[in-house]
Amino acid sequence: MKSDKGIYISVEIDGKQIQVPEGSTVLDAATSAGIYIPTLCYLKGLKSYGGCRLCIVEIKNMIGYPTACTTPVTNEMEISTKSPELQSIRREILELILSEHPYSCLICNDKKECQDFMYTTRKVTVTTGCNFCTSNGGCELQDLVEYLDLKDIRFPITYRNVQAIKNNPFYDLDYNLCILCGRCVRICNEERYSGVLAFVQRGNSTLVGTAFGESQIEAGCEYCGACVDVCPTGSLSEKMGSWVGVPTDSTTSTCILCSVGCRMNINTKGNRIVNIGPRPGKRTEPDQLCIRGKFIPADITHHPERIIKPLINKNGAWLEITWDQAIDIITKHFKEFSGNDFGIIGSAHDTIENSYALQKFCRVVMGSNNIDLSPTYNDRSLFKKVHGFQPVGIDEIIGFDAIFIIGSNASVSHPIIENRVRKAYHHDAKIITAHSHLNRTYQFSNERIIYHPGSENIFLLQILKDLKTAQNIKFPKDISDALKLIDKKHASTATGIKQAQIRKIIESLAPAKKILIIAGDTLFKSSSSNDNFNLLSNIHFALNKFADCGMMFLVDDGNRFGATYTGMHPEYLPGFLEVRNGEKKWSEAWGIDISPVSGLSTDEMISNLPGNNFKSLFLKGDLPDHEKLNELEFFVQQNMFITETSKYADILLPAYCFTESNGHIINIERNLKQINPAVHAPEFIKPTWQILSNISRKLKNKSFQYRKTNEIYEEITAKLDLSIDKTSRKTSKFVLSMPDIKIPLKKRKIEMIPEPDYFLYQGNSMSKLIPDMKQLIDKKGGKHG
Amino acid sequence: MSSLLNTLGKHFPECSKGDLIPILQHVQHQEGYIPSNTIREISEYLNISCSTIYGVATFYSQFKFNPPGRHSIKICLGTACHVQGGDFILSALQMEIGITPGSTTEDGRFDLERVACLGCCAIAPVMMVDNDIHSRLSVIKLRQILSNYE
Repeated sequence: MKSDKGIYISVEIDGKQIQVPEGSTVLDAATSAGIYIPTLCYLKGLKSYGGCRLCIVEIKNMIGYPTACTTPVTNEMEISTKSPELQSIRREILELILSEHPYSCLICNDKKECQDFMYTTRKVTVTTGCNFCTSNGGCELQDLVEYLDLKDIRFPITYRNVQAIKNNPFYDLDYNLCILCGRCVRICNEERYSGVLAFVQRGNSTLVGTAFGESQIEAGCEYCGACVDVCPTGSLSEKMGSWVGVPTDSTTSTCILCSVGCRMNINTKGNRIVNIGPRPGKRTEPDQLCIRGKFIPADITHHPERIIKPLINKNGAWLEITWDQAIDIITKHFKEFSGNDFGIIGSAHDTIENSYALQKFCRVVMGSNNIDLSPTYNDRSLFKKVHGFQPVGIDEIIGFDAIFIIGSNASVSHPIIENRVRKAYHHDAKIITAHSHLNRTYQFSNERIIYHPGSENIFLLQILKDLKTAQNIKFPKDISDALKLIDKKHASTATGIKQAQIRKIIESLAPAKKILIIAGDTLFKSSSSNDNFNLLSNIHFALNKFADCGMMFLVDDGNRFGATYTGMHPEYLPGFLEVRNGEKKWSEAWGIDISPVSGLSTDEMISNLPGNNFKSLFLKGDLPDHEKLNELEFFVQQNMFITETSKYADILLPAYCFTESNGHIINIERNLKQINPAVHAPEFIKPTWQILSNISRKLKNKSFQYRKTNEIYEEITAKLDLSIDKTSRKTSKFVLSMPDIKIPLKKRKIEMIPEPDYFLYQGNSMSKLIPDMKQLIDKKGGKHG
Repeated sequence: MSSLLNTLGKHFPECSKGDLIPILQHVQHQEGYIPSNTIREISEYLNISCSTIYGVATFYSQFKFNPPGRHSIKICLGTACHVQGGDFILSALQMEIGITPGSTTEDGRFDLERVACLGCCAIAPVMMVDNDIHSRLSVIKLRQILSNYE
């Protein structure tokens, strides 16, 4: 309920006196008083629509039956919600709705027994429950028929007889079941701004559809699944989980597939994920998920190619072995290769507990600092520097007057964040988008900049230089001097951005009181990563002189920040304490001497093979196929699938999916979020920390023994503050590194940064593993950039 | 392609969302119908999704999505014509030329549209081909009338 002025007025609903904030609707008031009013088209968070007419009420001194969802309350209003006359009108309205909806499941005499007797094994000609609709049991119409006690439908029945649309990779559309409540159309346009669905035609022939009946993907569908989540009938249904029945359990967990870390409800039946989204239980917070959270987890969890037992590589063939055998073999080899011979490459799609366990195992049991994530950023200190900035909350984005989004394809990499940018755009914020190629965000931008690929740093310099002159900002002398040397013409040629365009950007930023810079990860994946970071910090510094400037780094992969923070880094111990400083904190806690020499990064471990004395690797997840891995003397991979890289592995261990794990992650806002298991992992799979504990026990190391995930969590929190302080901290002074812009364009080395594959889970390409995903990417074929 | 965008810029410089219907009318006036690619161009120009534009355009019967035929048939299904069996005439006509209202024959000879009243109820049922009114129609008369239009 919104209350702008905080004025409360008193109303009477069904004889109950209540106080509600001024401006709320009758429906809000009734909900707050715990009075149920049936609705179909109403959806919290969307503009009221008043389409289904089921929420009609009687209000004293008001003619007719106004709808509760659209009528604002006034002082001393007397409302009646359940008179026999109202219920009878509601019943008639529902009858009218149902005259266009197949309703055999709604008014069947046997509907109570239906669910129980449906699953018969008899092969005789008896009807044992009809399955016309995937939503049977979870349908809002069924609830309403029950509530209004509707027994028969007296109107002539029209069946639309349109063909169900099944050309979608993730969901089916059967508009014969549609009641035109408009929830999907509204959420697609008002909330997601995808603009895929609209009401087409008019009157009797009205349907939800796209322009000229083109497929969803041609209409620019992003497969966020919001329409499927809100559909009250079986008109829109997920392919995965259709016909499985009504989920019996719901677990709230966190999506690990990107760094936004959305809360999600995983709905299960038995040990199977039926769907992910709002029902049953509360709607997801934030309101919706994206293609990854909505459709992918069930597909990877129940993937047919998942390995479920430890495997040993016998000349290219995989043989099943028992856990005891696997641990024995691993221990035997790990004894030979301890110290700097050994390394661990972890995954950023893993819980902080596993990350902490992996790095502790590496340092404490194996005595090596060779621990890193894959893939890595060029700038090793990036996360420590990012940590120096105050994080911006995802829902705070909407409050900024100007948003400068650079080097990011956020609608793919972080759809929920980009959604907030779209919202800000529709709330009249100035959006400036700059990237090396066109993407969806440009549709929601006031200033659209496309610079030459690889010229981000020069573009940022152009901005910085103009910002300095336009706003008369005093920089430290070295930076001012450096900026003076920049030739505007050269810079323009190098980036392809004219001076006038730069001026326009500065002009749009100048009047803003709150500015947000969203820095995409392509800025940090290039070789000029360090320059880009410094330039951005200087721009941040400059903007802060006249406005309140926030900074958001769109780093990829769910728990990358959390994993780095808990020590998955060759140079940092947990808490970004540097290895080479010989910090006492962790060596005392673990009771060993940590080598003060920085370890090898992922690239150094692999690309220098053989010859860098590096012989043995434990890999969590997957890596891009690299033939140098063949030079390893002993290679253990723990992954959910057999991949191209697995052919180099000696031992392959099965792994948990995040839907089966217990633990925590730290998301892009640096909030600690919990991951809860929704289903049990297949019998022979063990969590990473448990495998490491078993190895450690065999190696007779007593300092690494865990029996529960919680023990690790407690150990981390005892030493490390995970509820990260979000108050403003002083940003350290940044040095301006100058890219050489005087080289003529033709002679410039062009650095192509291929768009990273954002659809990875622990290094495994989801687009390879999931045929639907592949279909989607093939079809898109660059159409949307 | 870009010629449309140029004329849009000239006639509707404000680029406001309220210009959608005038733009659609403008296109229909110029082209005789709304081609699918112009919806895409309008979508880019006004920053409204194609689906929404199509939804608006299909709401109004004045907008057509097929190129007009050489001859336009408007068949009246107003009250008087309905009572006099306009429905039969329409189904006979549909069978004769093989299209449903709102579309154009493959050879481009006729397009067919149903209208609510042509204002000459006294001589119902009627249809209009181009600018000629044909009155007191019967199924037998239809074929002969159509043969006059090539």
